[in-house]
Amino acid sequence: MDLLSNLALGFSVASSLANLLFCLIGVILGTLIGVLPGIGATATIAMLLPITFQLEPVSSLIMLAGIYYGAQYGGSTTAILINMPGESSSAVTAIDGYQMARKGKAGTALATAAIGSFFAGTVATFLVAIFAPPLTTIALKFGAAEYFSLMVMGLVMSVALAHGSVLKALGMVVLGLLLGLVGTDIYTGAPRFTMGITQYADGLNFVAVAVGVFGIAEILRNLEDEHDRQVMTKNINRLFPTREELRGMVGPILRGTGIGSVLGILPGGGAILASFASYTVEKKLSRHPEEFGKGALAGVAGPESANNAGAQTSFIPLLTLGIPANPVMALMIGAMIIQGIVPGPNVVTEQPALFWGIVASMWIGNLMLVVLNLPLIGLWVKLLTVPYYVLFPIIMAMCSIGVYSVASNPYDLFAVAFFGLLGYVLSKLRCEPAPLLLGFVLGPLLEENLRRAMILSRGDPTTFVTRPISLGLLIASLAVLALVFLPQIRKRRDEVFTESDA
Amino acid sequence: MSTKPKDNTDLIAGVFLMATGLFFGWQALGLELGTSLRMGPGYFPLVLSGLLVLIGLLVLLKAFGREDEPFGLIAWRGIMFILPAPVFFGLTVRGLGFVPALFVTTLIASQASMRMRPLPALGLAVAVTILATLVFSYGLGLPFRRFGPWLPF
Amino acid sequence: MTTTLTRRVLLASALSLGLAGAAAAQFPERAVTLVIPFAAGGSTDVVGRIVAERMSQELGQQVVVQNVGGAGGSLGAQQVAKADADGYTILMGTVATHALNPLILKQKPYDPVADFAPVSLLVLVPNVLAVNPELPVNTVQELIDLAKTDPLAYASSGNGTPLHLSGELFKSMAGVDITHIPYKGSGPALTDVLGNQVPIIFDNLPSASSHISSGKLRALGVTTTERAPSFPDVPAIAETLPGYETYSWNALFAPAGTPPEAIEALAAAAKAAMADPAVAGRMAEFSATIVASTPEELAAHVTAEMEKWAPVVKDANVSLD
Repeated sequence: MDLLSNLALGFSVASSLANLLFCLIGVILGTLIGVLPGIGATATIAMLLPITFQLEPVSSLIMLAGIYYGAQYGGSTTAILINMPGESSSAVTAIDGYQMARKGKAGTALATAAIGSFFAGTVATFLVAIFAPPLTTIALKFGAAEYFSLMVMGLVMSVALAHGSVLKALGMVVLGLLLGLVGTDIYTGAPRFTMGITQYADGLNFVAVAVGVFGIAEILRNLEDEHDRQVMTKNINRLFPTREELRGMVGPILRGTGIGSVLGILPGGGAILASFASYTVEKKLSRHPEEFGKGALAGVAGPESANNAGAQTSFIPLLTLGIPANPVMALMIGAMIIQGIVPGPNVVTEQPALFWGIVASMWIGNLMLVVLNLPLIGLWVKLLTVPYYVLFPIIMAMCSIGVYSVASNPYDLFAVAFFGLLGYVLSKLRCEPAPLLLGFVLGPLLEENLRRAMILSRGDPTTFVTRPISLGLLIASLAVLALVFLPQIRKRRDEVFTESDA
Repeated sequence: MSTKPKDNTDLIAGVFLMATGLFFGWQALGLELGTSLRMGPGYFPLVLSGLLVLIGLLVLLKAFGREDEPFGLIAWRGIMFILPAPVFFGLTVRGLGFVPALFVTTLIASQASMRMRPLPALGLAVAVTILATLVFSYGLGLPFRRFGPWLPF
Repeated sequence: MTTTLTRRVLLASALSLGLAGAAAAQFPERAVTLVIPFAAGGSTDVVGRIVAERMSQELGQQVVVQNVGGAGGSLGAQQVAKADADGYTILMGTVATHALNPLILKQKPYDPVADFAPVSLLVLVPNVLAVNPELPVNTVQELIDLAKTDPLAYASSGNGTPLHLSGELFKSMAGVDITHIPYKGSGPALTDVLGNQVPIIFDNLPSASSHISSGKLRALGVTTTERAPSFPDVPAIAETLPGYETYSWNALFAPAGTPPEAIEALAAAAKAAMADPAVAGRMAEFSATIVASTPEELAAHVTAEMEKWAPVVKDANVSLD
């Protein structure tokens, strides 16, 4: 079959010594970047674009791609170790991963993330290879109304993210939505909530918000009482998951991979939802939902698989149509253009070596990552034994550099400080940060698509229910909503309601 | 007269949410609202602000009739030294340059812990600055000036 | 007293001559930063990087690209306007930064004429009017006719971008009312048109070219007065609507007050870079027409552009507060 010969071609290209080397450099660099809070794949790839002049097109794309999914791996490392998500998609991993670390199970959490990501990466690469064209056709059917309904579903899921007071979680979501709207309105150009600061014209930097609300707030919490409080238990368990834990991972990983693969294809913001969606699904399906938020393994396995699957499948619109699914893909397009390759539907047929070479290298890269990361777990865990008062100034320094490097914008750093304070205040008020972050991400997308759908339908609000995919998503949202609230209504409040400190 | 139990934390939380909602709502009123079918820039924010105020009110009301939980300590020293660190970096990295800005930033942040003595703090700041300069400025080639225009050299 | 004054004057002139001599002989002594006011990977960025690479060879010093995106290019432009006028920081300005934003923004963060010293107009890039193949029109005239009977919509890369205004100019000259649907950038706009969520798009030619070649988009007309060499079968919109002309352009600017020697050196390097056959070839691939003008020509161009776009902006009632 053609596929086999294409794959053979791909592997032969990807396994050339030079390309293997570039893949390795890419994934190592990506992992390092992902570990650093703030600086992410986007900034790194942008910085390395000049290098692509000197290299062969395939090699440079392999390296850049490696940086991208390498960053996904690295981002989960800091999320787990210090509650600082390195990438937007690792924010969900931080919720349970960090709690696992505090209980001494950092090694297990890191291993779970690595294994889940590898499996998801493999499956997703396979999907890219075989199903890219039909998947793209489905993706193109998503218009504004469909994206709106998808975001509504995302919002409903945010309620499930809450493990404390649902009402306060809702408040956090709405606050996040409002914060997401800061910036310039795309339809009229009017600045909203920017207080006249031009630097906020494009909105608040997600990284600044995430680092502030999750990471800095956590540092402040740990500094509350330096006398008795132990940040991490010094008693570190075995590094590798037990048999039982491995068995428990299978379901979440499979489901997470499915969810991530599907959502990653949607160019308009599907991948962001992947990890949140997976978390919700796992929490609902788990036999011990009260563990979520306190260190549930499934809460790490599912979202990690989802975000890695999403990272791989977001290459599909790029490779088949030449459309970027997210800013990193837009950079890849730039890199391709610099090389003289015009991305588009013709790439598959005109440059099969390029296409299949990239596909093959994605799998090789994932393999390299899991081989690299598993032994490193021991090192990371050792790092946790460094006294906290030495660790956190280092974290602050890295944070400042990282956030600043994204856009060289000092206002991003002010935002980090502000959100650090806000995150701390919120945690003292026992409000949770995760729904806020989700709202922040969904807000602009929700509104943009709502207004666009209304303009396109010329003011006809029934467009959301007359279009089949949109209707399906809305019905699914209702179903999720029901699932979320039914147990609350049936069981007694005091049984279910856990006043946990966020 | 018996005091009704009230959860102080939730009380503050409710007020906080309401205040935030009112703030955003006030800002949103300055924008064009449009109609439901043809929304202006202020429509959605106003709806959300209203929702936030409502939720804040509900949280406030539910705070009564529930036992208070201990608030815990506040990390004043932490706030005083951690938050200014990135702000300082942002203000000075272009003027002072990467190296001095990072050094002082790390120094400031390290003071947030009372366990940090001055000499180890200095040592840490030096080490971090050297390593970071090697990795970021030389290694990755980030476009920051190492020593900025405010300094005489 | 006169003697002291004369001595002072002599001393001062000797010093400044010496300094000027030093400057002229040695620019550039270190790396030059080219600020690109848009995100990496976009069309301005790609052009900028190709030119920067080649200019590095001419100048003997690295020309380092720094992306400072945001506010439609205003943040990057503002940064260069405020930078030291020593020739070591330059801007890749575009029609957006030096004609549109100043016309549209109520609070002007910079003055495109007073705050900048022009270096060279590098390229002109045409925009294209394209439709999804399912729309039953094959020419600009057919589109105009259809628009008069059916309500149609067009996608653009954002409010106040040259593409949006190309669309508005089209509407006013053709006398049709097509609803404008802004997106956050060309990518999402193209996606929706390819998926037939929106039938029409005004995009810049390089970004749409692969889709036109593969047939996923049907190009109806280019916005320059002449046909694009890379798509000779696509007529100019001006063939149907005489007088219609819009295009994007990229140019190098330095902060006002940059020493003339630096500007000359930069302009010469830019000119040589654009004359390089390899660079010229890449520009042709983007359907970009090379100009490589002198600083004076660029200054005139900026003034002309602002005059041209002012009525369009006013009619379209665009304002970015």
